[in-house]
Amino acid sequence: MSSPVLAVDGLSKKFISAGQRVPVLSGLTLGVHSGESLAIVGRSGSGKSTLLNLLCGLQKPDEGAITVVGESFDSSGNSDSDARWAELRRRSIGVVFQDANLMPALSLLENVRLRAHLAGLTAGGERDWLERLGLGAEADRYPDQVSGGQAQRAALAMVFAMAPALILADEPTGSLDRHTADEVAECLFTMQRDTGCALILATHDTALATRCDRLLDLSAVKPSGAG
Amino acid sequence: MMLVRAFVSHYRRHPIQLAALAMMIVLATMLWTGVTVLTDQARNSLFQSEEAVAARVHVVRSDGEPIGVNDFVALRLAGACIAPWLEIQRPPPEGRVIGIDLLAMGCFGDAAPGGEAGTLDGAPFVDISEAVRLSGEEYDSRLYLLAASENPALPDGYALREFSLGPATGELADSFLLNLDALSLLVLLITGLLVRSVHRLGIAQRQHSFDLLHRFGVPRRRVRQLLALELVVLTGVCVLPGLWLGAQLAGMLGGGFGQALDSLFDVTLYAGSTESLPWQAAGIMVLLVLAVCLVDWVVPQTWQDAAVSGRGQLVAVAVLLVGLASVALAQGLAGVFLGTALVFAGTGWLTPGLLAILAQRRADGAEVYGTGPLIRWRLRELAVMFRHLALPVVALQFAMATVLAVQALVTTFENTFEDWLAQRLEAEFYVQVPPGADASLAAKRLSELEGIGPWHRVIRGKARITAGDSGKAMGAEGESVSADLFALTPIGDLVSDWTLLASVDQPWQNLERGGVMINEQLARRHRIEVGDPLRILLAGTEASTSVVAIYADYGRPAGEVLMSGAELPENFSARFESFSVNPGELAMADISEQLGSIWNTPEVTVRDNASIRALASQVFSQTFLLTRAISILTLVLAAVALLIMGWVFFTTRVWYFRLLGIWGLPASAIRSQLRRLSVTLTLTVTIAALPLGIWLTWVLVSRINPLAFGWSLPMDLYPFFWLELGAIAVLTGLVIAQLMRRQLVHRVSDKQVEA
Repeated sequence: MSSPVLAVDGLSKKFISAGQRVPVLSGLTLGVHSGESLAIVGRSGSGKSTLLNLLCGLQKPDEGAITVVGESFDSSGNSDSDARWAELRRRSIGVVFQDANLMPALSLLENVRLRAHLAGLTAGGERDWLERLGLGAEADRYPDQVSGGQAQRAALAMVFAMAPALILADEPTGSLDRHTADEVAECLFTMQRDTGCALILATHDTALATRCDRLLDLSAVKPSGAG
Repeated sequence: MMLVRAFVSHYRRHPIQLAALAMMIVLATMLWTGVTVLTDQARNSLFQSEEAVAARVHVVRSDGEPIGVNDFVALRLAGACIAPWLEIQRPPPEGRVIGIDLLAMGCFGDAAPGGEAGTLDGAPFVDISEAVRLSGEEYDSRLYLLAASENPALPDGYALREFSLGPATGELADSFLLNLDALSLLVLLITGLLVRSVHRLGIAQRQHSFDLLHRFGVPRRRVRQLLALELVVLTGVCVLPGLWLGAQLAGMLGGGFGQALDSLFDVTLYAGSTESLPWQAAGIMVLLVLAVCLVDWVVPQTWQDAAVSGRGQLVAVAVLLVGLASVALAQGLAGVFLGTALVFAGTGWLTPGLLAILAQRRADGAEVYGTGPLIRWRLRELAVMFRHLALPVVALQFAMATVLAVQALVTTFENTFEDWLAQRLEAEFYVQVPPGADASLAAKRLSELEGIGPWHRVIRGKARITAGDSGKAMGAEGESVSADLFALTPIGDLVSDWTLLASVDQPWQNLERGGVMINEQLARRHRIEVGDPLRILLAGTEASTSVVAIYADYGRPAGEVLMSGAELPENFSARFESFSVNPGELAMADISEQLGSIWNTPEVTVRDNASIRALASQVFSQTFLLTRAISILTLVLAAVALLIMGWVFFTTRVWYFRLLGIWGLPASAIRSQLRRLSVTLTLTVTIAALPLGIWLTWVLVSRINPLAFGWSLPMDLYPFFWLELGAIAVLTGLVIAQLMRRQLVHRVSDKQVEA
């Protein structure tokens, strides 16, 4: 098997709450390969979003090491680590949130173009991505002119347009009704299979989680020192 | 109680927003109060000076010596009804007070100045004993003896003179006050916009909470009542410190303001001209705050929607055009001010939408690839900001335009005044002829001196002029007007280089031949032109003449006639005489000594050119201190408001900057985007203010100034001021970006803690 797109070793994170340091993650180790999908589940506050933030460099771990697409980071936070994380997010890591993934002042097509521009891609084809996700007719509409499901599909178009090696999705269907959520999920898994990228998905939705290749339940991984 | 706590919980979570709103109300009250106090002082002073000296006469000694206590005693013993009037000149803000003797006023009856005989109706009048005490405190003082009627029985050695503290200013002083009122209203408009903008933003952010309260069963009317109550309490609390600060501001600017009144209208700022705290101004401010913040409940939503619709924009264009036409065609100040108000209204209505469209167009024109997408996003955000920050943007535009126009006006005046002063002060020395001295003897001696440079004798007095044969000047046929007389002899090199506004060929030669020149004030007020015939009445002798030139005469309201001293009748009584002298090869001390020996006085008052010039410049700079200060304070207020608004508004956009970071844009690049966005915003507002500012400059120099003060100024532009304002805009933009950046950092750390 090829080397993993993402490798995590001994990852720990604590937060300060009411003057005390509360552990959220402790000694977490995992790996994800290209084309593989991993669902992260757990009750609210178990650290799902925190883990995704750590995996894309938006937060720093207290301990442990992370390797993404060959770039290694540890908890020491070297001076250039922010710049290297930013470079990775630009070109290799696509992030999708529950909502507010789009710039409201730009049309769907312009959002996709902006994301592709930041990823350093200059060729056209952004409209094709929207069409593949069923948004060809809505390409010139603004986010407040489309439905929640269409906005989430546009967010997926943005992510896939940058040809990422890893997609981190935090409750991507959390604000949608069942039917729309299924449509969006279908798009996500289809495109992920087609492009061969790795997918890590944080969700409360069991149906969505079971569509992934593997599942990590953070509620079952009790951090040391936790009450 | 729980409802109230829930209601105000927003401000517990966002105390800075509450502080911003409170600060805006305090500053707005301060500015408004300061301007109101000064305007009231001016109005009261004008009223008092008119009332105090209305149709009165005073007694002078025939030998020209100053009046003293012995004269008062001699006149009272002779049975004349006279009363002492002791003026104590204290520097502003205390101002001048007048000491009067209540007992001596007994014979004046109802005509007693300062109130009924036997009582005092307050400042500026004080008992003469108090005035005597003040005169001992090194203040300048002067004693007059007022007479009760124009025909009292006076003993020999005394004569009557008209009692006047300055020239009749006609409607000019009213125009000056109208100018101040207009400036006050502009300040009120700008501050009102700023308060409304900060309040509206808070309401927009609290709308969700209000909806929640409504869902919990609280009627919307109750929410509005609580909002109004909250605003009343907040305004009530904030108006008090604003009032106090405004009074302090008025005190600080009082000196310059007093100088302005003195130099423009010869009106003295009297003591106690206004209340200690102007509660009326406070009431107006409370009403303004309530009106601008709660107007949305009164104006139907359809009207509000229509205002920003295409039809609304057309109405705005129509308002703008009507305003422009009114200013260009109006015959009076009120029409010009009304037109200016319409132009401001139309511009303010149109500007945010136009700037947003401009930003949108530029965004649409950005490259599809390359750096285009990021530029496009930034320009679209800019368009959003123009729409959401419409009110502070307009307020900043108005404030900048006002500052630009006032700066241009003051600098134009400064430059023009300096050139004019240089013409007027050609001589190196100025010698005042003592009262009772024979100036003709001195003139004869000067003409005999070998080696002396150019000199002339100046004679000042009063004349009456009447329209000549054409009858077109001065309104009704045969109507005469009073004007200051300014006579020179001989007419030579000291005046021949004057720049004249209009003249016949060889104007100075024509002046020597009996023609007259008139100042711009007289020409404008009575529509007199070069070549018009005039009849001039001097010491009971009437002569026909014609206008050979019109000259600029800045800084005073009175009409003036300039003629050759050789044309004056023998019995003409001069009010003031002096000599302007270039000593040439001689020493001025020697000339002064010779004049002293002719006039039989040991000390001759000689002033040198530099000291007069310095005095004039000092008066000038003091005159415009107030205007400059108010316009700059308004600009600071507007910039602070934009800064607060930009900062608060950013809370609604911070996520999108964070999204850029999530998409991999480095922190330094995000900071750069922030800077570009905020600096583009403030700089664009400055550029939008330029046309309005240039137009307002034209209105001030070419329309308002001639109507208000009687003289016009050239229309000059000062691009350096534009650059200065641009620098202020860039600075404001950078500070906004810095505040945004702090908020961005704080938000990220908040998110971490919340996760």
